[in-house]
Amino acid sequence: MEEKSVVIRNLVKKFGNFTAVDNISFEVSKGEIFGFLGANGAGKTTAMRILCGLSRPTSGEGTVAGFRIKDQQESIKRHIGYMSQKFSLYPDLKVWENIELFGGIYGLNDRQIAAKTDSMLKALSMENARDMYIRDMPLGWKQKLAFSIAMVHDPEIVFLDEPTGGVDPVTRRNFWEMIYEAAGRDVTVFVTTHYMDEAEYCDRVSVMVDGRIEALGSPAELKETYGAKDMDGVFTKIAGRAERGE
Amino acid sequence: MGMWKYLLKKEFKQYFRDPGTPGMVLSFPFLIILVFPFAANMEVRDVKLAIVDSDQSEQSVLLTEKCSSSGYFDVQSVTSIPGEAQTLMDKGKIDAILTIGNGFAKQLKNGSAMGDALPVGIKVNTVNGTRGSIGSAYLNACVSEFLMESAGISGMPSGSQVEIRESYRYNPYMDYKRFMIPAMIVIAVTMMCGFLPALNIVTEKEKGTIEQINVTPVSKIAFIVSKMVPYLCVAFFMVFTCLLLARIFFGFGVEGSLLDIGLFTFAHILVMSSFGLLVSNYSENTQQAMFVIWFFSMVFMLISGIFTPLNSMPKWARIVAGANPLTYFADAMRGIVLKGATLADTWKDLVALLGIGGLTTAWAVLSYHKTN
Repeated sequence: MEEKSVVIRNLVKKFGNFTAVDNISFEVSKGEIFGFLGANGAGKTTAMRILCGLSRPTSGEGTVAGFRIKDQQESIKRHIGYMSQKFSLYPDLKVWENIELFGGIYGLNDRQIAAKTDSMLKALSMENARDMYIRDMPLGWKQKLAFSIAMVHDPEIVFLDEPTGGVDPVTRRNFWEMIYEAAGRDVTVFVTTHYMDEAEYCDRVSVMVDGRIEALGSPAELKETYGAKDMDGVFTKIAGRAERGE
Repeated sequence: MGMWKYLLKKEFKQYFRDPGTPGMVLSFPFLIILVFPFAANMEVRDVKLAIVDSDQSEQSVLLTEKCSSSGYFDVQSVTSIPGEAQTLMDKGKIDAILTIGNGFAKQLKNGSAMGDALPVGIKVNTVNGTRGSIGSAYLNACVSEFLMESAGISGMPSGSQVEIRESYRYNPYMDYKRFMIPAMIVIAVTMMCGFLPALNIVTEKEKGTIEQINVTPVSKIAFIVSKMVPYLCVAFFMVFTCLLLARIFFGFGVEGSLLDIGLFTFAHILVMSSFGLLVSNYSENTQQAMFVIWFFSMVFMLISGIFTPLNSMPKWARIVAGANPLTYFADAMRGIVLKGATLADTWKDLVALLGIGGLTTAWAVLSYHKTN
């Protein structure tokens, strides 16, 4: 049987009377690039926060990296990487200091951190930016660095919440090359995005509407099912059914 | 655990890279020792006085001179018309009127054999109650001293007199600075350790970096405590710099042990910085945190015995003061610095501070949620 990184059954999250996530179930295999699409307010971020252990589910079962989302949040956190849509490195720390901090938090020692820093900066071609403050960096650089730092402890799964928002097309391409490279190392990539060309790069995508998963499959399957020539068409058809606004 | 090292490094770097705080920390002790004690001075000097001299005798002139040379009064006018002085007081130009009535010299000479009181009156402006009552006391003292002296000169048997000799303990020159400096240190530590940690976590919330931390396996205690440590160091630096400056500039030493001061400072920092972090856990943004902290700072400072004695407050205020950490820290600091109090005298303050501090620290750690 194929190894699963994420298994979710009947997940529900309510805020008072509002049901942000309405009974969703899905599985993600190890090494898969899983696209998590949906209009703003569809419940993507809420669902993702539960998977990362930042939020508790109202009901439902599930495991991430083999740990229960209900009560093993801190174990989940040790085995995942996370990069949020709100950019989250420390602007008043230098590049190497951010790497050191997160490496240290994930339990790496000084020697491991030094080695990681060198290899990471080399892979990003940022050797000269080592002593640069994050606040002085262009957005595209920051996003690539944040992605690398989210992977500093070689997690099994990495969650990317709109990682390429506001980034130029060339950098976006570079970013996806990094995602492919990670998936090639058998890291599961769970990514939300609003760019439909990026959805085409995913192995499978799900489309959330009003807190439910309306469609799930490979880009090719979805295009066929919905009779659309690209993912943009698929998304418009599905998301068009939404009843709740932003 | 290794994580602590990296978190502490981060906090110290961020602390010293902040454009404002290091400068503030360095300048605060100077402000506290060299500026604030003069501003927070409640001594009453230069009471503005008008003298209504209806007697116009040698004796009345002597009394006038006695008062004007005492150093406490600034004699604004000497007149023989009572209405004139009253007008000055109505206009707020003077604080007190000394009236020397007709027949003052005569009665003074004959003694009070006739049983009549001397025709001397004191009238004070008590719009500012403290100034008024202290002015009146000064004036009283001045007049009685004059009477004693003149009795001695005229060789009158003054009967059995009780001589009251005052002795001022612990602060022999009743220097207000000496009394206020320990309290100013208390206020400085409170501001430094209450405001800054509160802003710290809220800033992380606003920038979104706290989300990145919450999704890591960082331990809650390590995260909170490493945020408190820089303020601990800074507060220690401030307290001892202040004491050093007080010694250099005013020659005020510390009567008690520096170790005790360190112990109390530590306990107070524990209370205040955990309190600041507690507020930030419940605040979404900087304005909110600032306002809540400001509100509590006002209560902390005014209902603590720092500026006004607790004994003169109503019962409810004394209950509030009982829950106020500043009450204990200020009491202990004044005791140690001025009176050389030891732990045997101040242990109750220490227990109270550690009690409140343990409670707020536990609350701060528990109310910081990595998972909502």
